[in-house]
Amino acid sequence: MGAIALAVAGLLTLNACTTPDSSSDTSTLATYTEWNEVLADADGQTVDLWMWGGDEQGNAYVDNVLTPAAAERGVTLNRVPIADTGEALNRMLSEVQAGRTDDGSVDLVWVNGDNFRTGREANAWLCEWTSLLPNMELVSSADPLLTEDFGTPVNGCEAPWNKAQFTFAYNSDVVTDPPTTVAGLLEWAEDHPGRFTYPAPPDFTGSAFLRHVLYSVSGGYENVPAEYTEADFVDLTPELYDTLAGVAPFLWRGGDTYPADSDQLNSLYADGQVDFTMTYGPATLTQLVEDGTYPAATKVLSLEDGTLGNASFLAIPANAADAAGAMVVTDTALSVEQQVAKADPATWGQFTVVDYDKLSENDLSAFKALPESPVVPSFDVLSTDANPELAAEWVPALDEGWRTSIPAGR
Amino acid sequence: MSVSLRSVPPPASAPRSPVRLQGDPGRPLTTSRGMSRMARQGLALLLIVWFALPLVPLVLWGLAEQWSFPARLPTEWGLGGVSSALAAGGAEAFARSLTLGLTVATIATPLGAVAARGLVNGWAPMPRTLTALLFSPLLIPAFVAALGTNILLLRAHVPPVMGLVLVLVAMAVPYTAFVLRTAYAAHDVGYEEEARTLGASRRRVLWQVHIPLLTPALARAAFLAFLVGWSDYIVTVFVGGGQVVTLPLVTASAASGVGNDAVVAVLSLAAILPPVVLLAVLANSRWRTEGAV
Repeated sequence: MGAIALAVAGLLTLNACTTPDSSSDTSTLATYTEWNEVLADADGQTVDLWMWGGDEQGNAYVDNVLTPAAAERGVTLNRVPIADTGEALNRMLSEVQAGRTDDGSVDLVWVNGDNFRTGREANAWLCEWTSLLPNMELVSSADPLLTEDFGTPVNGCEAPWNKAQFTFAYNSDVVTDPPTTVAGLLEWAEDHPGRFTYPAPPDFTGSAFLRHVLYSVSGGYENVPAEYTEADFVDLTPELYDTLAGVAPFLWRGGDTYPADSDQLNSLYADGQVDFTMTYGPATLTQLVEDGTYPAATKVLSLEDGTLGNASFLAIPANAADAAGAMVVTDTALSVEQQVAKADPATWGQFTVVDYDKLSENDLSAFKALPESPVVPSFDVLSTDANPELAAEWVPALDEGWRTSIPAGR
Repeated sequence: MSVSLRSVPPPASAPRSPVRLQGDPGRPLTTSRGMSRMARQGLALLLIVWFALPLVPLVLWGLAEQWSFPARLPTEWGLGGVSSALAAGGAEAFARSLTLGLTVATIATPLGAVAARGLVNGWAPMPRTLTALLFSPLLIPAFVAALGTNILLLRAHVPPVMGLVLVLVAMAVPYTAFVLRTAYAAHDVGYEEEARTLGASRRRVLWQVHIPLLTPALARAAFLAFLVGWSDYIVTVFVGGGQVVTLPLVTASAASGVGNDAVVAVLSLAAILPPVVLLAVLANSRWRTEGAV
């Protein structure tokens, strides 16, 4: 939905005109100082959670598990399914622009990365509220995956919900000798013309694939500074684009065209037209194999270089009408019961954000007792040698470079 | 004096009857026969195939538990798509969409009628400007209009649901006004004048002469207005502020994920159903042949 991104950008510019000092820290801070005040205010509130609705299991988890738990604490949770998180941002920014600063219709958003940064730049999120939540105790305060969201400091403007690990999956019936590095993966593609491709950036997944190849050709993520500078870009990216241009003729359809988004790549993989797919949400793999969308022989590729990791969060708009209720929902979502239920592959299979070291013996055993997925290894295994994400500024620069360097992107 | 208004002159083209009555001129010249009749029916058949063909994959997907390339038909059949659609809140969304469509039709049809009558009868001042204004919602892309009006509505503290209905009505009025303007242009006020001469009150003329004569056009206008509310996505998301989760919202969000083909197919079929049913009702109504406009 490019039109929505454009509209959000437009609203941002408008807001920037009205608040010239938007870069300085004028974040809206939570007015609460005690959790009890939050609980008292939250009782009876209805929280509108705007979340991307393309994940059936995620929708079912929120409706059938999280919503009843929130109801027990006196908060009604109402899920608003959207096709793109930008739609929530658009609504929030429109409200703020119209001077509706305390009765907004969006109370909670499932967000990360670019959308979070956009909201931060417009001071559209409520900040410094996560420390109020009792269950934040279970989350590590030193985990870089949770203190920075694609390079944007979190600063208590959103609470972690899920962890994700970029994952390559392949059909082990066809790929009998799977590669073990990103470079090896590209070699495999050259040896098997037409059997590999990646979504065209700026698709989220295709863009993440670019970053993996960038890390690979640079000799590891350690050699790519997280902060974006033009000098680093000029220095590091020629090899990236040369490599991708070199492999292009061996890709699906000879690299004349690329899947427009991760959905199209997934469909190609589901239909057996390519032998690899990739995703930032490996949790869904179990279900997709179980219901027969993906081949039964689907396996997760384990790479010596490791893969990118990130987290997704729950954020409260600065103008939310039911902010207290939203905090209670978030606290509930962070509870051990909810994080265990959510991590169960049969429910949703999203990796937990709680720190195992902070759990009691009892709570830890609840996580350990979770059934193992036949497809996706546990998070500890999956996130071995996890690579940190680059700052959000890198992403558009890399995407634009791909567009001008790779023939089909032009 | 009591006048039976039921004895208003019969409509111009009386229902055809197999028995030829006295004074019946026989088959009208407009009825095609022979080769042209066959060609006409063949064309109708082709049109039906043309419109039904895209629905075939939808039906297949809706009943497919599993369907992988290159199989020509689903490899496993089932009703998983239906239960998933229900779990996704499809039924509630269906009801909300229906309510929204009917609300828009209920408001936009009389508004369109008033505008059309005013324009046709010459009551309206500056008819050209008024026409341009009336039809302007069709010229502005819905996306731009929704974003722009949303800020205004938010400033004016209009509740999201009311704002949603307001914007959709504004988008539906051009359609209802257009359909009814044509109808009013062909409308013979003679019947109404005669009823008035016979002593019927204005109210009675409106309900028993005016509206019955215009029913086909009113129904067509209401149908178009219903479609505006039924199929809207952009305005429902932005102006509705997530308060009204309609069928298009549920369908679009499901379509943005992978592995949801069956649910999306079921939801899409559910979205096609009411317009098709309404269309069939419209086409088969008894007043079809009367006063056609």
